[in-house]
Amino acid sequence: MVALTGLLPASMNESPQLRALRTEVREFLDEEFATGAIAPSIDCWMTGWDDAFSRRLADRGWLGITTPTEYGGRGGTFLERFVVTEELLAAGAPVAAHWIADRQIGPSLLKFGTDEQKQRFLPEIAAGRCFFGIGMSEPDSGSDLASVSTRAERTDGGWLITGAKVWTTWAHRSDYFIALVRTEPRDETRRHAGLSQFIVDLKADGVDIRPIVSMGGHHHFNEVFLDQVFVPDEMVFGQIGDGWHQVTSELAFERSGPERFLSPFPLYAALLDHAADTDLAVGRSAARFFALHQLSLGIAGALQRGDAVDTSAALYKVIGTLNEGEVVDQAALLADPSANELIEKVNGGLLQRPGFTLRGGTVEVLTGVVARGLGLR
Amino acid sequence: MNTTADADVVALINEVLGDHWDRTERTAGGLDADLWATLTETGLHLLTGSEAHGGAEAGWAEAAVLASRTAHHAARVPVVEHDLLAGWLVEHLGIEPDDAGLRTVAVLDADGRAEGVAWAPVADSIVLVWPEGDDWLAAVVPAGSVEIAETDHLAARPTGTVTAANRADLNGRPVSADLVAELRARASLARTLQICGAMERVIELATEHVTTRVQFGRALSKFQAVQFAVVAMANEAALARVAADTALHTALRDGFAADTTAFAVAAARSVAGHAVSVVVRNGHQVHGAIGTTDEHSLHLFTRAMLAWRSEWGTTADADRFLTERAVAAGSSGAWRMVLNSAG
Repeated sequence: MVALTGLLPASMNESPQLRALRTEVREFLDEEFATGAIAPSIDCWMTGWDDAFSRRLADRGWLGITTPTEYGGRGGTFLERFVVTEELLAAGAPVAAHWIADRQIGPSLLKFGTDEQKQRFLPEIAAGRCFFGIGMSEPDSGSDLASVSTRAERTDGGWLITGAKVWTTWAHRSDYFIALVRTEPRDETRRHAGLSQFIVDLKADGVDIRPIVSMGGHHHFNEVFLDQVFVPDEMVFGQIGDGWHQVTSELAFERSGPERFLSPFPLYAALLDHAADTDLAVGRSAARFFALHQLSLGIAGALQRGDAVDTSAALYKVIGTLNEGEVVDQAALLADPSANELIEKVNGGLLQRPGFTLRGGTVEVLTGVVARGLGLR
Repeated sequence: MNTTADADVVALINEVLGDHWDRTERTAGGLDADLWATLTETGLHLLTGSEAHGGAEAGWAEAAVLASRTAHHAARVPVVEHDLLAGWLVEHLGIEPDDAGLRTVAVLDADGRAEGVAWAPVADSIVLVWPEGDDWLAAVVPAGSVEIAETDHLAARPTGTVTAANRADLNGRPVSADLVAELRARASLARTLQICGAMERVIELATEHVTTRVQFGRALSKFQAVQFAVVAMANEAALARVAADTALHTALRDGFAADTTAFAVAAARSVAGHAVSVVVRNGHQVHGAIGTTDEHSLHLFTRAMLAWRSEWGTTADADRFLTERAVAAGSSGAWRMVLNSAG
């Protein structure tokens, strides 16, 4: 029998240094907002692209926090990164430009990249000068990622990649993405075999990036068509044939971060200026934010220690993202239609909400992960 | 203060309760006098009391484990009331050590009545706390000296209405409003920990049931609908446990009288109270009809958590407190409220 408490990370108490770092970030943001340099947005890690702001964060040493100093990073801890990103998200700061590169490309490069790749990309990522997208989903491969059919074929000095990737956030402004592709034909008996990853220059010949406009009229997503795109051998990411292991080994980092509970936080904060003492849903949400913050922090601490957190990260992402949706809905239920500024945020939240529980692993897939962790399957 | 429970104490708790669960008659209701005697022999009945008062001088970290584990084993013993509430108050009032037997606490209203006092019908003595003008007074009295009318309790725990007509003769000692607030915070956190322990047991029972019960030729757990029901309650119970642990650590760090503790305890109480709704609904649903019977132990846990979430304040009281805090914080203070750090 798997005990539930055994799946949960130990609770964390932030050190005075981490609290001081929070204050430092908050003071920086106060200044940024006060001068009008940036404006808060709902779901800022997806909607808020501002590469100049990303570079200002880099100047403070707040990108590439866990990247070693020899690669231009801060050489800091995962908890420092947690604290900085949490403050940025809670404030709704425009962090989308560097988000993917900072969250997962940097750590993946450190784990699987060649020294040449690390030398080339990590300092640029930490400086806020190089932005990445994710090249995983395809038109026929959503949750079932192992079914991707984009393929790479050997050629002189490299590989030729052909296929289509979809839901590539900010591909139209990013420099690279890491594509998961087949280097061997599909074999239904070994579904996870024959997959490899490549660092693809999004400006290369044969790359065609087409917008997918969201129901709110925004252009964040793209479809990326690859037609015989040449990728040199030195841009093979990790080992040929090891793609599945590589993309799944970092999932806990992708799932457990504070962006899985804070996407609509600026909306919740705004709601408080309009809510009454009798709107008890507001207090209930305060409690859940409090608990979700602690759970995400606890997982960050566990990751820092190198503990296995697959089940707790999935569990956290399910409740965190469901709660994100509920908070938006709650604001929509309470908001007076004449409160224009609030309604604007509510509408922004309502239009982003469906994505909360889809991106980075759907609630359905992750529930399966938790079920397995509990011994149900 | 130490925030990690002493391993030896935890081992003792698990040994005493695990052994008890194996041989006990699994019923709701009544004081489990055998277990209470065992707890008394081992010192677990007064875990946080001072040595002078016959206590084991452990802290809240260990007491939290005991509160959770007794709930996890459906153990019908008043460890929370006797030790964490009454025992603490008695020492705080500076009352000489005595051997007054099983104790509970009653916070009386202006008319000298307290409803729903846990364990009152089986208590030997009661710590009474009552308002006197703008102040509060407290006294320890033999249970026989007040009127105790047993009342219904959802989990059939001995519970009653306590009426003390003779307050003027009790020579009450003054206690501060802060101390009364602290009493409520301690009680509320203890109930939350009990709820968490009971919820975790229901998830274990549900997991065991759905992985062994076969219908349509396969274990119930093979059905995604059933997996979803179990995971939904595990999610809620997990979040409640995280909130309860955080509240405990906040209390250990800042003290029970602290503002941060008040917020953390209310938050934990809210998350746990709402989690109970999901755990009870889905826990019974996946057990099918067998789970509705007296014979099955499921109700020992579901009934207890349903009762506990409305004791020492309702879930709505916690939500109301939090809502007032949130509205007062406004947009500019929202995030600092969530972090709940003193600094």
